[in-house]
This record gives sequence, structure tokens and C-alpha cells, in this order.
Amino acid sequence: MPVDSADVVIIGGGVSGLSSAYFLAKAGKDVVVVEKGTVGSEASGRSGGMISERVGESPLVPLAVESLNIWAGLDDELGYPTEFTHHGRLQVAVTEEQMDEVFSERDAAFAHGINVDQLDPSEMRDMIPGLSEKALVGVFFPNGGHANPQRTVQAFAWALQDMKGRLYQNTAVTGMKVADGRVSSVETSAGTIEAETVVAAAGPQTALLAEMVDVHVPAAPARVEMLATAPLEPLFKIALVGNGLYGRQAARGNLLFGGGPHEWADVGLTTDPDKPNTPLIRNIARRLAELLPGAADVPVIRSWAGVVEQCPDYLPIIDFLDSPSNYVVVTASAHGFGLAPATGKAASDLVLHGESSIDISGLGLRRFDNVGTGWRDERGWIPAPEQPAAH
Amino acid sequence: MESKPLVVVGAGVAGTAAAIEAAKAGVQTTLIDENPIGMSMIGLDVPQFFGQRIMGTLRNKAVMLGRVAAANDALADAEEAGVDVQLGTYVWGAFRNTETSRVLDGPQLGLADDEQSWVINYDRLIVAAGSRDLGMSFAGWNMAGVMGANGAYSLMSRYQALTSQRMVVMGSGNLALNTARMAQDRGVEVAAVVDVSPSVRGGEALVTGLQAKGAKFYTSHTVKEAVGRADDIEAVVLVEIDDDAEPVAGSEKTIDADTVCLAIGLAPNVELLDLLDCRLAFKSELGGYVPCRDDRMRTSVDDVFVAGDAAGFHDEMILNPEIARNQGRLAGIAAAQSLGAIDNAEALARRSDILRSAAVTAPPAEVHTGWKKWLRSLVNAGGLDIFACLCEEVTRAELIGLQPPRYLEWESERMSSRSLQTLMKDGPVNPDQVKRLTRAGMGHCQGRRCREQVSLILAEEAGADIAEVPLTSYRPPVRPLPLKVMWPHEEPEQVRRDWVKWFTP
Ligand SMILES: Cc1cc2nc3c(=O)[nH]c(=O)nc-3n(C[C@H](O)[C@H](O)[C@H](O)COP(=O)(O)OP(=O)(O)OC[C@H]3O[C@@H](n4cnc5c(N)ncnc54)[C@H](O)[C@@H]3O)c2cc1C
Ligand SMILES: Cc1cc2nc3c(=O)[nH]c(=O)nc-3n(C[C@H](O)[C@H](O)[C@H](O)COP(=O)(O)OP(=O)(O)OC[C@H]3O[C@@H](n4cnc5c(N)ncnc54)[C@H](O)[C@@H]3O)c2cc1C
Repeated sequence: MPVDSADVVIIGGGVSGLSSAYFLAKAGKDVVVVEKGTVGSEASGRSGGMISERVGESPLVPLAVESLNIWAGLDDELGYPTEFTHHGRLQVAVTEEQMDEVFSERDAAFAHGINVDQLDPSEMRDMIPGLSEKALVGVFFPNGGHANPQRTVQAFAWALQDMKGRLYQNTAVTGMKVADGRVSSVETSAGTIEAETVVAAAGPQTALLAEMVDVHVPAAPARVEMLATAPLEPLFKIALVGNGLYGRQAARGNLLFGGGPHEWADVGLTTDPDKPNTPLIRNIARRLAELLPGAADVPVIRSWAGVVEQCPDYLPIIDFLDSPSNYVVVTASAHGFGLAPATGKAASDLVLHGESSIDISGLGLRRFDNVGTGWRDERGWIPAPEQPAAH
Repeated sequence: MESKPLVVVGAGVAGTAAAIEAAKAGVQTTLIDENPIGMSMIGLDVPQFFGQRIMGTLRNKAVMLGRVAAANDALADAEEAGVDVQLGTYVWGAFRNTETSRVLDGPQLGLADDEQSWVINYDRLIVAAGSRDLGMSFAGWNMAGVMGANGAYSLMSRYQALTSQRMVVMGSGNLALNTARMAQDRGVEVAAVVDVSPSVRGGEALVTGLQAKGAKFYTSHTVKEAVGRADDIEAVVLVEIDDDAEPVAGSEKTIDADTVCLAIGLAPNVELLDLLDCRLAFKSELGGYVPCRDDRMRTSVDDVFVAGDAAGFHDEMILNPEIARNQGRLAGIAAAQSLGAIDNAEALARRSDILRSAAVTAPPAEVHTGWKKWLRSLVNAGGLDIFACLCEEVTRAELIGLQPPRYLEWESERMSSRSLQTLMKDGPVNPDQVKRLTRAGMGHCQGRRCREQVSLILAEEAGADIAEVPLTSYRPPVRPLPLKVMWPHEEPEQVRRDWVKWFTP
């Protein structure tokens, strides 16, 4: 006996799944979200919260720009605060090499018809008190910002419930029943849930779920780290990228910054991957103090890590598959937070109309038709060998 | 990296004994303790609840170093035994490889002083990190002069720097009575010892001594508020409570005091153990979440041992430091044995010495019923508009209402319809989730002053047993370290070269 049934069953209560669920519920669909932990307990609640136009990745620009449009009205739409701030994004170079990066972002923006402003050191220091004297040049993107990931995830979840969507937390999807080329039901730790359509937005586990229905989704999990300082007086509201870091000052005043090497990993289907920090957080601290010497005295009070997934071309997949014919794949490729409102809109469009109102033509799964199952080994996107015990 | 054979964290009774035992067994042992800690740390109420009743002398590191050494005779014995004693050193992180993290060349500790940080490898670790003060809030607990028993003990015995004149002590177990006695011995007037219990919980002898020096006992009482001027306590208002922990109208008593010492209970310092993924279990009789360990003090992680308050605290340990000392010695022997420094027979002989002489103590009693009663009485007497979390200024009402922080100035009908109660319809209570939404526990003291209290409130709201509330997670750094201290002063060129911004190809 099924425990529930719905028009759409969404696997994964991260920001992508919840956003999809919200837009579907808003359109009148009966929606269930199945989440193995609590909402946002994986990448979505651990995100840096940066939101940008992603000018460096052409296929993403329409999605990213539409996302910013939705973000602008999201708090009112959902009825809960996300802490979205829309004061722009500054990319700073503090070394000669970083200048190339900054200029290439600037040129990419122009190529997409997006206006940006090139700032000199004194203009940048006005914008960001405490910024390094070494800051050489910056590019300011007026249309950028940030939000609080945990509040955002919860806001989507609550708004979904307000639309009568159902949320199963602490419930893992363990299997899927396929009949006549369609997924007829989803097996969960709480029982069987029947589905007209399935949206798999399970982060790093999206690939494992796809395997169950004989679909190859090339997405490799990786662990990344961030840190937070104690609150400071308000310094800047923009999203800041520079010196190999990305981050923001939260509404409360804490500096939240991440960056640095990631570690490729494997994950289990139903278990929570462990997410330790490593001494890398010291190097992040150093880069942050280099970037903002004015904040060098502020204590770091916590750090955390999250596991994201990455496709071979570093771009998300949002696609309604041919087979199984009622299955939507959503995987964010590690940009998912800022994109989430539009990702959810696009995914819901796919379910409702078979096509997306936002241009996601570059994000189909078919682009990986030639990527074989051995791709991670070929790329070296695999976990490091286990270290021999020290004793 | 070169690896230290044995590192002991915490040079209290337990850690010092562990280090001496291991060194005597021929193990090259490093004993690390954060004291004397920096003034800025004390200002953040880390690692203890110090309450800003500290003499200026603390600013002089050399003086403090001398006092810390003098406060613990066994430290000299440790050095004598060849232990490498490193004082003034914070252990802010503990790292080991896991399924998703494989880059370390062995388990590591992050260390720091007030100037810089560094990382060391270890083969065996003994965590003897002591315990932390249990915070309970009342109106005015954000003023200077509110401190915890451990903080008071540290200021009195370790630093000889407590500036209190008149103290009200909350709690009447041996922890509270001993704190009061120490305060009296140092010339502090103990104006009142207060407990919600109908009778004094600690030993008779201590009570008589305290009364002889003028301490008054108020059982079946709670603290209604602390009042003062310019954020400094001047008086404490007590109120009698009935069987339901409700205040008795008209029973208020105002007591002049410049200090309130929270001595209701202590919580084991399991932060490093949690970072290392040592299995923890809730044991009320030991103060909450404590490491699972065998009777030789080994945790679920093979190379990590525990001893003393960090392994679990109960009130008897205040009267009898032998308990912590013996645990330390057992841990030292076990670590030495596992390193192969002594053989099985030798280890057995050394353990037997300890077991033969150790007093058999009665099994400790659970503590959370008493803690709950305290909390209930404080809520009944003070209401819900009292800060549960001091750093982030989150009131009990805001916590229970699951409201976003005031600085967001967010109001909506939908938000007001949400609360802990509605959240708990979605699944079992999850303190990490609540923390992120309300910010209670997210501040600079790293949740030290509010953890237990917040969990108790969550349990109360959920109608759940406190044991069902999961541990709120710990994250490094477990001491608040300035960016310029935490950063590596020398960063290998390779790290800079290989730095990846965000998966950039
Ligand atoms: C430290 C860090 C910083 C980041 N910074 C940014 C940033 O600044 N800007 C930005 O745009 N992005 C950022 N990201 C990336 C972004 O957070 C993610 O891309 C995004 O959150 C992905 O959301 P998602 O919903 O697709 O996946 P997830 O958040 O991973 O959600 C998937 C959910 O599915 C659940 N699940 C998995 N398997 C099962 C199963 N079998 N049954 C039931 N449920 C299951 C998981 O528990 C999880 O909650 C960052 C990520 C991290 C970790
Ligand atoms: C009110 C009161 C009265 C007491 N009276 C007595 C007494 O009369 N006689 C007596 O012998 N003992 C007394 N004690 C101490 C107590 O009884 C024992 O010391 C305790 O039970 C066990 O000690 P321990 O070694 O486990 O912890 P502690 O003595 O607390 O030692 C732990 C040490 O580890 C350090 N530490 C913890 N974490 C870190 C870290 N991350 N990095 C670096 N350092 C760290 C702490 O700062 C501390 O110095 C009293 C304590 C209190 C609170």
C-alpha cells in the first residue's frame, strides 16, 4: 500500500528541489518533497549565498539573470525572509595574475550586453572599508547580491507547505519502480509514494538515483569549505570576490568567506556524507586577512564544509528525460544557490508544459551523450587514495 | 609531518596525571593547556563564563604564567618526568581523515597562542579538557558580575584575580558549596546560596562552614532578576517558589551583591571529541553528552582517550579530585600500552595499583530534572522576554516563536504563524536547524553560555526527553581566533600556486 501519492514527487529538499516544488504547488500541482535529512541540511544550507549573473558561463546567463529577477521579489512572494540583498557584486584583483581574471569577467559581461563598472583602488576602498592597499583594480556588477541560504531554504519549504505541498523530512528515497518506461512510484524509508512525475534534485546523489533508472548523469561530488567570523560593524553590502575567495558580510555583521581547493569524494545514496573541515581553513583565513586587512583582528568563530556535485563542463543539468518519460533531472553543478529560483521555475515549466520559459537549451543531459562512465577516472575527479594509517 | 607520540589536551588534575603516567612509561609526551589565556578571550567569556570580575593583573602574561604553574603542583612533577608542558596554547581544532577528507598525513591538532597558530600531528591523543559552565538566564544576566562556577574557580585558584565583593551562588550541590567556600576563603562575602530544591543538595559539613561565615541559604527559591547600574550588578532579587516552580507572590527578597555565580551544573567539554567523530551518548548522570569509552578510557576512535570532567562530570568529583586523577592515570597507561611503550603485563600491574587504592563511589544521579526545574522557575519568575542567548540577544520568546532576528525587521502574518511547535510537526527537534533560524548559539562565545539552556527549552517545547535532543554540532575553531592568529604565517608557495577559487578549470 502506498503511503502517499502526488502529481509530482520531488527527491531532495535542497534549494533546487524546494524551489521546483514551490513553483509547481503554486501552479496547482499536488506536490511531495522527500528529503533524507532536514531541508537544506546538505549543500543548500551550507552555501556561501552569492548570487550573480554568471557572465563567465554563457549557457547560464539567461537562467542567472531570470533568477535575479525572481530574487528581487522573493521575500514578498514567499512571505518569509531570505535576507536577499541586491547591492551588486565586486570582483577585486590584489595581484597581477588576478587582474586577468577580473578583466575576462568584465569582457564576458560586455559580450552579454551586461553593463559593469571598472573601479580604481580608491573607489573600491570607499565601497569596502578595510580593503587591502594592494587592491589593483575591480569590476563592479550592479546586478548581483547575496542571501542567507538557511533562511532561503526554510522560506521555500514553509511557502510550499502554505500551498499545501507536503514535506517528508528524515525520509530517504531507496528505489524507484519503473513500468512502461515511466517511474510509477518512489520507494522511501517511510513507504511507497506514487508519482505522476518525478523530479530528482538530490544534489550529489542525483547521479546515483539516475543509475537506478538506467540513466547516466555525469556529476562528481566534492567537498568544499567556508568560515565565518564574529560580527563586525557594517562594512559592505555587496557580494565580494577576490584573492581566491568569495563571500559576503551577513546582515548580522559576520564575514562569511570560502574558496580554495575542493576534495573529490564519493557519497552513499541514503547516508549523509561526512563534512569535516581541514586545516585549509587557516589558508582561507590568511587570504581573507590579505583581502581585508582592516578585519584581521576579528575572530573566526566557526567553519563548515559541504558536498556539491560538478558536471564535466561545470554547468548544471535541467532536463526532462525521454526515458523514463516522466523524470526530470536537476543538478546544480555547484552554482545552485543563486540560480535556485530560476532553476525551480524552469523545472516546474518542464513538468507543466514540457518546455521551459527560460532558455536552458545549453543545460540538457544529451550534451553528455559522449561522456562514458569512466569519465571521473579519466579526469582524476575521484577521491584521493586512503592514506595509510600513521602507525 | 613529524608526529608527536602522545598529546594530552588539558593540564588539569586529569590531564597532568595522564601525562605523568605516560611519561613514566617512557612515552614522549606533550601536555598542552590554554592557561593563561589572553585577555581578549576572557572578554568573550571563552572558554569559561568569567563575568568580567577580573583584576587588571591578568594583562601581565608573565605574572599569569607563574600563577597558573603555581596553582597546579603536579605540573612541576610532569616536567620532572620529562613531559613537554606547553602552557598558553589553545587547541582550536582536531582533524582526521574521513571518507570525504583524505589529504592529511595523519590525525592533527590545530594549536595557537595569542600571536599565531600552527598544526601538529599526533599518534595518540588524550582529551582531558575539563568541563564548561551551565548557563541559565534571568533578567539582568547580561550584566557584568554574572559568572559560572568554573569561571569563578579559575579566577580564584588559577589566577587569583577575582574582584568580587559579595556573591550570590545559584545551586546548592557540592559544586555550588565548594565554590562558595573558596569564595569565602578568599574574602568574598557569600550573601546567599539559592536553590530551587526544597533542601540543600550538597554535603552537610560544607553547609555548616558556610553558615558560620554568614552565608544564608534559600531553598525553594529562584532568581527573579539581577539589578544594577551601568551594566554592573548591584543586587539580586530572589523569590520563593511553590511545588510547581511558580513564584510565591510577595516573597521577593533583595540581596545586595556584585556577583551571581551560576553553580547549578557543569557540562563536559566534548568539542574536540566531537570534531574527531568520537561516539558520544547522552548520560544525564554525567552532565549530558559524553564520550562512549571503555573502562581504560579509550573512546570509539582507537587513538583517542579521555579523562576527567571531559569524560563526564558528576558532583562527587568536586569533593574528590582522585576520580579525575585516576581516570587520567588510566588513560596515560592505556595510551602507553597502545603505543607499545609498556607490555600488557606491565600495563595490568600499573592499572591494578590504581584500582586497588581507588575509592568505590556511588553511581551518580541524573541531573536534568533539577536543571529543568531551575529553568522552569526562572521562566515563571522572569517571563519569556529574557535573553536565552547573550551574544545574539535572542529572547526565550523569540526562540520558542522561531522568529528571525530583530535586526531583519521582518514581520509577516505567515512568519508569525510559525513557531517551534509548527516546526516540530515536520520532524524531530533539530537544534542545529533552530540555531540557524533564530541565531541562538551562533555568537562569539560559540554557544558556550546557552547550549544546554536552549536544548532544555527545545525539549520542553517538543514535550520530549532532553536525551532525545541531538547534540548541537561543534565546528572548528573551538576557540575564537582572530584571522591574523589563525592564518599560517608561512604559507608554502605550492599552496598559493595551487589555490582554486571555485572549481575553476
Ligand atoms: C560551502 C559552499 C559554498 C557555496 N557557495 C555558493 C554560492 O556562494 N553561490 C551559489 O550559487 N552556490 C554556492 N554553493 C553551491 C550551492 O549551495 C549548491 O549548488 C546548491 O545548494 C545545490 O542545491 P540542490 O538543492 O541542488 O542540492 P542539495 O542542497 O545538495 O540538496 C539535495 C538534497 O537531496 C537530499 N537527498 C540526497 N539523496 C537523497 C535520497 N536518496 N533521498 C532523499 N533525499 C536525498 C540531500 O539530503 C539534500 O538535502 C556552495 C556550496 C557549498 C557547499
Ligand atoms: C568550584 C570548583 C572547585 C574545585 N575545587 C577543587 C579543589 O579543591 N581541588 C582540586 O584538586 N580541584 C578542584 N576543582 C577542580 C575539579 O575538581 C577537578 O579539576 C575536575 O573534576 C577534573 O579536572 P580535569 O582535569 O578534568 O579538568 P580541569 O581541571 O578543568 O582541566 C581542564 C583543562 O583543560 C584546558 N582546556 C580545555 N580545552 C582546551 C583546549 N581546547 N585547548 C587548551 N586547553 C584546554 C582547560 O582550560 C583546563 O585548564 C574544583 C573545580 C571547581 C569548578
